[in-house]
Amino acid sequence: MDLLGDHEENLAERLSKMVIENELEDPAIMRAVQTRPVLQPQPGSLNSSIWDGSEVLRRIRGPLLAQEMPAVSVLEYALPQRPPQGPEDDRDLSERALPRRSTSPIIGSPPVRAVPIGTPPKQVAVPSFNQQILCPKPVHVRPPMPPRYPAAYGERMSPNQLCSVPNSSLLGHPFPPSVPPVLSPLQRAQLLGGAQLQPGRMSPSQFARVPGFVGSPLAAMNPKLLQGRVGQMLPPAPGFRAFFSAPPPATPPPQQHPPGPGPHLQNLRSQAPMFRPDTTHLHPQHRRLLHQRQQQNRNQHRNLNGAGDRGSHRSSHQDHLRKDPYANLMLQREKDWVSKIQMMQLQSTDPYLDDFYYQNYFEKLEKLSAAEEMQGDGPKKERTKLITPQVAKLEHTYKPVQFEGSLGKLTVSSVNNPRKMIDAVVTSRSEDDETKEKQVRDKRRKTLVIIEKTYSLLLDVEDYERRYLLSLEEERPALMDERKHKICSMYENLRGKLPGQERPSDDHFVQIMCIRKGKRLVARILPFLSTEQAADILMTTARNLPFLIKKDAQDEVLPCLLSPFSLLLYHLPSVTVTSLLQQLMNLPQSAAAPAPFNPHLTAVLQNKFGLSLLLLLLSRGEDLQSSDPATESTQNNQWMEVMFMATRELLRIPQAALAKPISIPTNLVSLFSRYVDRQKLNLLETKLQLVQGIR
Amino acid sequence: MNYMPGTASLIEDIDKKHLVLLRDGRTLIGFLRSIDQFANLVLHQTVERIHVGRKYGDIPRGIFVVRGENVVLLGEIDLEKESDTPLQQVSIEEILEEQRVEQQARLEAERLKTQALKDRGLSIPRADTLDEY
Repeated sequence: MDLLGDHEENLAERLSKMVIENELEDPAIMRAVQTRPVLQPQPGSLNSSIWDGSEVLRRIRGPLLAQEMPAVSVLEYALPQRPPQGPEDDRDLSERALPRRSTSPIIGSPPVRAVPIGTPPKQVAVPSFNQQILCPKPVHVRPPMPPRYPAAYGERMSPNQLCSVPNSSLLGHPFPPSVPPVLSPLQRAQLLGGAQLQPGRMSPSQFARVPGFVGSPLAAMNPKLLQGRVGQMLPPAPGFRAFFSAPPPATPPPQQHPPGPGPHLQNLRSQAPMFRPDTTHLHPQHRRLLHQRQQQNRNQHRNLNGAGDRGSHRSSHQDHLRKDPYANLMLQREKDWVSKIQMMQLQSTDPYLDDFYYQNYFEKLEKLSAAEEMQGDGPKKERTKLITPQVAKLEHTYKPVQFEGSLGKLTVSSVNNPRKMIDAVVTSRSEDDETKEKQVRDKRRKTLVIIEKTYSLLLDVEDYERRYLLSLEEERPALMDERKHKICSMYENLRGKLPGQERPSDDHFVQIMCIRKGKRLVARILPFLSTEQAADILMTTARNLPFLIKKDAQDEVLPCLLSPFSLLLYHLPSVTVTSLLQQLMNLPQSAAAPAPFNPHLTAVLQNKFGLSLLLLLLSRGEDLQSSDPATESTQNNQWMEVMFMATRELLRIPQAALAKPISIPTNLVSLFSRYVDRQKLNLLETKLQLVQGIR
Repeated sequence: MNYMPGTASLIEDIDKKHLVLLRDGRTLIGFLRSIDQFANLVLHQTVERIHVGRKYGDIPRGIFVVRGENVVLLGEIDLEKESDTPLQQVSIEEILEEQRVEQQARLEAERLKTQALKDRGLSIPRADTLDEY
């Protein structure tokens, strides 16, 4: 009875199980490499297989770097009860019952990973082709099987992705329904709606990380791999067994090989992030757009497949990705994580406040494209727009960390709860101490502060229109009131409110106007003021114009006031215009100044803004005069006086000294013709270049 | 998948060959494998390229992890057009030699300039020590 002979192998097995001679089998060992042939029992050399531990180890170093190494099989990290390889290698390991892991199949709890997230990519050495082992370190790859991998896949998918892959084995696994898959029925339905993989095809669900390979032989290997025995694939970890099981070996039809795993890759890659729980932060429209785009991509790829168009740039790009064994080191999940952070930075409760220029720019673009669309009925260019998540503002009340059962509180200084470091006390200085210079400086600073405050008011007022459109009916009156109130306070700021004085002094206003920003501020405020208020401002400006001109010599910002002033002029009655002109010319003149000499007006004429303003006023006056013949005599007299003064000064001043006005009103010729004779008229014309031809 | 249109995001650049210019003046060329929210980069099969005049030399460096704040700019390299350059590739030793020569020439010019200025009684305050390259 040759029991001994028959059972030699079994004995070997059992003995080897008993005694952990081979260090590689020790479950306590984190990482080890075995070369397969060593463990295969050779008949008659029973002893060698069991007791040849050292030899095994010796052989490891060599073959790792050599090319002819057979399949490497490796133990997993710290997995208890992992049965030794032994002579059962040929047997399908999937039939073995593996310990169940206590994980809940509920979505939300992380699926089991036998291999921690940070591990480097796995590479499997396959015997039959010429592969290079890219890293000498041993890798974590499961099976000692002949190659069954979709080698050029290159795709490493996280468990999350694996869950979402349609037609994955988990959807039809032979395990009892008491072990539900990770997907909810809804998600599964959604996924099934997506691209269908060919049945029996080796699905990537079987791998936590699919190894990538280097080299062209892979391309040749692809068909073979894909046609290979699917079922003999081992899941990468026993833990996965609960969710993914290898279907029984099914031989797929021979012509199964689709036109390259590329499109399949693309499918999966694009499908994988679909409706994953961590995309909930995205705006629903964003998610919809993503979904749409994925479908577009899929369709494109399907078309590509159908056409068999291999020469396109896209497929060559895919080729690159396919052949790149290091591709997708960064998982889809990680990419989403980074983009999630970036999207979070874009969250805003008031995009017009936070992202003013971005919003305005895109509005302009849209208007432009809408306008273009109106003109022609061309195909609308789909410009992908970034949809930022809109988040409601949450009130975050900071509560300091408290531990139960402890006495007292932790004093932790954080960004939400800063600790006071310096006791800064504001000391106000008394008036006596200050010198004149300091007073001047303080005054200037005060003016600057007023300008800033008024500017904020102005920005708010300018924004009201938009807010008005966005607001509800009930809120609108309140908004209008607010706006009015703000405009009033702006005006007060400008003129300087001094209660108890009938007419506030110009000083405050002049101070503001001396500062460049102040001038621009006034120019922007003018449209919002009432006519009287605006006229008042204009009057004050005209009155103090020489002084302002002197101060503006460096900045040359006064011309910016011209356009709001001209707009205002249209609303002013002739009385105001006349008085304005009088102010401009400083009439009535003081007795000290000799009659033909008007320094005020001279200064005005020599300045661009001044001259332009004067001309505008004259033109407006002319319009009013000509349109309204029934004028009072006093008014007429005043007007005559003004005209005489103006013409006299204009004639007197040498042309070189005259400034170049911004715009010349057209009716000046007729105006002057009424007050001066022909000769002087010609002179005026040349000087002011009133006639178009001269210029 | 079009990540975040209208923004500057590196996600679409992953697994593509890039040229990265660092703040210290180095030029790295490698495959961008991973990024994070600070634009820290992981470059794979990186090569440091030294340019001197019309010549350049490559030093293979392996894997680089670059802290985001040190990147000046980076751009994708078109693999098809990569070889289309008028520059001439030389060996590492040669390019290092060229670099050394160039550096010496520059220092010499600088020295002459300061000498000339000193002779005329002028001096330019050296801001070099404050500058960061």
